[in-house]
Amino acid sequence: MRKERPNSFVIAEAGKCIGCKACELACFAVHNRDNGVAAAVGTVTMPVIPRLYVIRTDSFTMPVQCRHCENAPCAGVCPVQAIVQEEGAITIDEDRCIGCKACAMACPFGAISLYKAYSSGQEHKQPHLREQLNGRLERKTRVIAYKCDLCHDIASDGNTASGEIAGAGAVNNSGSLTEGGGGPVPACASVCPEQALTLVSPSFGASRSRKAAGLRL
Amino acid sequence: MKNKVLTICPYCGSGCHMNLLVEDGKVVGAEPADGRTNEGNLCLKGHYGWDFLNDPQILTARLRKPMIRKEGVLREVSWEEAIQFTAEKLTAIKEQYGPDAIMGTGSARGPGNEANYVMQKFMRAVIGTNNIDHCARVCHGPSVAGLTYSLGDGAMSNSIPEIEDTDLLFIFGYNAPVTHPIVARRIVKAKEKGATIIVSDPRKTELARIADTWLPLKGGTNMALVNAFGNVLIEEELYDKDYVANYVEGFAEYKESVKKYTPEYAETITGVKANDIRKVMRQYAKSNKAMILYGMGVCQFAQAVDVVKGLASLALLTGNFGRPSVGIGPVRGQNNVQGSCDMGALPNVYPGYQSVTDPKIRKKFEKAWGVMLPDKTGYHLTEIPHLVLKENKVKAYYIFGEDPVQSDPNAAEVRETLEKMEFVIVQDIFMNKTALHADVILPATSWGEHEGVYSSADRGFQRIRKAVDPPGDVKPDWQIISELSTAMGYPMSYKNTEEIWDEMRALCPKFAGASYKRMEEQGGVQWPCPSEDHPGTPYLYEGNRFSTPNGKGRLFACEWRAPLEQPDQEYPLTLSTVREVGHYSVRTMTGNCRALSQLSDEPGNIQVSPVDASSLGITDGQLVRIISRRGRIVARAQISDRVKAGATYMTYHFWIGACNELTGDALDPISKTPEYKYCAIRLERIPDQLRAEEKVRQQYESLRKQMHVGAGQA
Repeated sequence: MRKERPNSFVIAEAGKCIGCKACELACFAVHNRDNGVAAAVGTVTMPVIPRLYVIRTDSFTMPVQCRHCENAPCAGVCPVQAIVQEEGAITIDEDRCIGCKACAMACPFGAISLYKAYSSGQEHKQPHLREQLNGRLERKTRVIAYKCDLCHDIASDGNTASGEIAGAGAVNNSGSLTEGGGGPVPACASVCPEQALTLVSPSFGASRSRKAAGLRL
Repeated sequence: MKNKVLTICPYCGSGCHMNLLVEDGKVVGAEPADGRTNEGNLCLKGHYGWDFLNDPQILTARLRKPMIRKEGVLREVSWEEAIQFTAEKLTAIKEQYGPDAIMGTGSARGPGNEANYVMQKFMRAVIGTNNIDHCARVCHGPSVAGLTYSLGDGAMSNSIPEIEDTDLLFIFGYNAPVTHPIVARRIVKAKEKGATIIVSDPRKTELARIADTWLPLKGGTNMALVNAFGNVLIEEELYDKDYVANYVEGFAEYKESVKKYTPEYAETITGVKANDIRKVMRQYAKSNKAMILYGMGVCQFAQAVDVVKGLASLALLTGNFGRPSVGIGPVRGQNNVQGSCDMGALPNVYPGYQSVTDPKIRKKFEKAWGVMLPDKTGYHLTEIPHLVLKENKVKAYYIFGEDPVQSDPNAAEVRETLEKMEFVIVQDIFMNKTALHADVILPATSWGEHEGVYSSADRGFQRIRKAVDPPGDVKPDWQIISELSTAMGYPMSYKNTEEIWDEMRALCPKFAGASYKRMEEQGGVQWPCPSEDHPGTPYLYEGNRFSTPNGKGRLFACEWRAPLEQPDQEYPLTLSTVREVGHYSVRTMTGNCRALSQLSDEPGNIQVSPVDASSLGITDGQLVRIISRRGRIVARAQISDRVKAGATYMTYHFWIGACNELTGDALDPISKTPEYKYCAIRLERIPDQLRAEEKVRQQYESLRKQMHVGAGQA
């Protein structure tokens, strides 16, 4: 279904965003369940790595994240084809990523950042590359590109706890511009207390703009 | 198998309903529930702020056993020994110096209303003093005093859901996006529904950014601006003449007082353009429904009560009371600060705002509690340093769920006060900076581990519930106080919180109908609720009948006074304390949540304007030294073009960048609230950043060690 139309993406309304970073935390939480986040026992030592970034200037505040471009420049420059389009989203295969930063340079929105890779809550070390650390050579942690994947691989279990994926039209998403209801909404959109984030289906978005333009005539 | 336990969020006064998800006796998550104020939404603290229950020891450790200081060291003891020792010490101090040598606090946080009721009863009936106060003194004390004078009730006159249906929101010194994200949602919705938003704040806050008009007043000039608003309402005859004639008193004096505060004169003091002052008052007066919301930018000044009365006067002049979506809203910052006030953890009133100096009311409480009660108002919490250090009057301090070394102004003086006292009791859930000075530590259960009732900022009683068993050897607050009371010869033997609640209801006409059953059925009950068939009261003063002695609203204006400590050559910048959204109060809770603690960590930030930063040679993110007449600290510079030159801002959440080492102890003369929002400082560049970073790291480690991190984890 999704493949036949342009990719959806999440966008924030600056007039509603209050810069609270609930979206960043929700994003971090749902993407790091394998790293023990949102489990109660023990303390996760990994840093908060979101895949969207709340920016704040003098005149506006809002999160910026991947637009899931149809002709994604990040994918175009990736030397190892780690970036692909699948099921209406542009995603990075984090296992394949070599951390070359080409995608971060190519992205016009600054939606891609490079951070250390973690697995089971530990830094993911490389087998071969070593770096000088504390006066001796130690295995270097992998650094990879992270960006919004529209919570693509995260199954919906209908539970909104701690930023888990909610169904569209859930109680905290009334009036949002989602794809006709029923489909899963990314964690950032479902958690935003101001309902500032919306999963936009471009065809729906465009028809709304056309209608608004018509009404202005 | 996950269980869901419906409760109320422990952060801020929004009173959001939430479910705690419990698995194998541990909280593993939280999800929003459909409460009256939050409608299925939570902010980031609601979603990710439950982690502290699991004692991850990121910042500090849970208190797990009672402790007594022996040969200078806190040592774990049995409950029997701790209670016996505390009771004997308190009794001895009472006999030697009299009951007024003992001070107690309520707790505006986790313990809930019942524990606060028992605490004030303990201080009044067992110790025999009205020396009971709590941290409302350092936040909305001026609202309680000022609004009681003007309107009769010291609480929000409207309710939170009404905010989104008003025509005009006039927001003064209140930054809802960081203090109450769920209230901010109502403001955003009001704007979407077409309301005009006016924000008066020295900083370009998130609300100022989305406002239709932003009035960037100079810090410390509130009264001049509020007087000028009154001046415009009267000079341009914008006020509601019928309303003033029928329901309001003091108009002639008010008119005289604001006469000199023309917008042009106010502009010279406040820096706000005279035309803007006129414009917003014309909008305010013209609106059908207008609501004032305000926060610490009004209350934390030495002229706070006057400004609160001044703001209430604007609403009175324009007839904005007694209907939905109008009125004045002091939005309470801590989850149960409204409740601690409701329960009489204040030196001048019993539960239900009943005066301790009224003989008829005193008699009622004497009869119910079976003792003679003191007839004079007790000490205010913020007067304690002076009373101890200068007048030698207070000898023992029972600190219940508060951390004054971190939260009160002039921290060095607070520490000196605690050291000088003969006996300090700390009853809390976490080790904190105040507990380092305790003679006895009584460990209590936390939110999520006990039952009770919180009052939301808009007067809503709501039930909190136990989700998990507490770790270690800890007891519910009301039980600890009851045992202490019994050991001191005044038996208290409540079976549960409902029994305490019912005793309280029977003594408080305003709360009489708010039974547990009603709260269960309705999700909550907003007071006043005089009987069990009364639905509760979303907005106050229906029929424009105020709760003042003669039922009329009282107008008030007075001369503007400049803040007490002004910048000079040695200390050229001003400092105001503020908050940040990811942390709460003294940070013992949010600092122990994995996700929240990482959003921002020690040593904390100081917001500086680009102008000041460049003249001092400071770059963003650098560590800087901050010095006032009272202390010096290190924090990270956060250069922000939302801040005016000459002004700086710090949060009070951090231990190393503890702004209260710097703040002054000037007090409002009526409410005794400190002037947190204005003192003079200077900033110094630190040339060797690497060494400074290392020192911050060492200091943090040593603080965490003092907080028992790493010890005694189950």
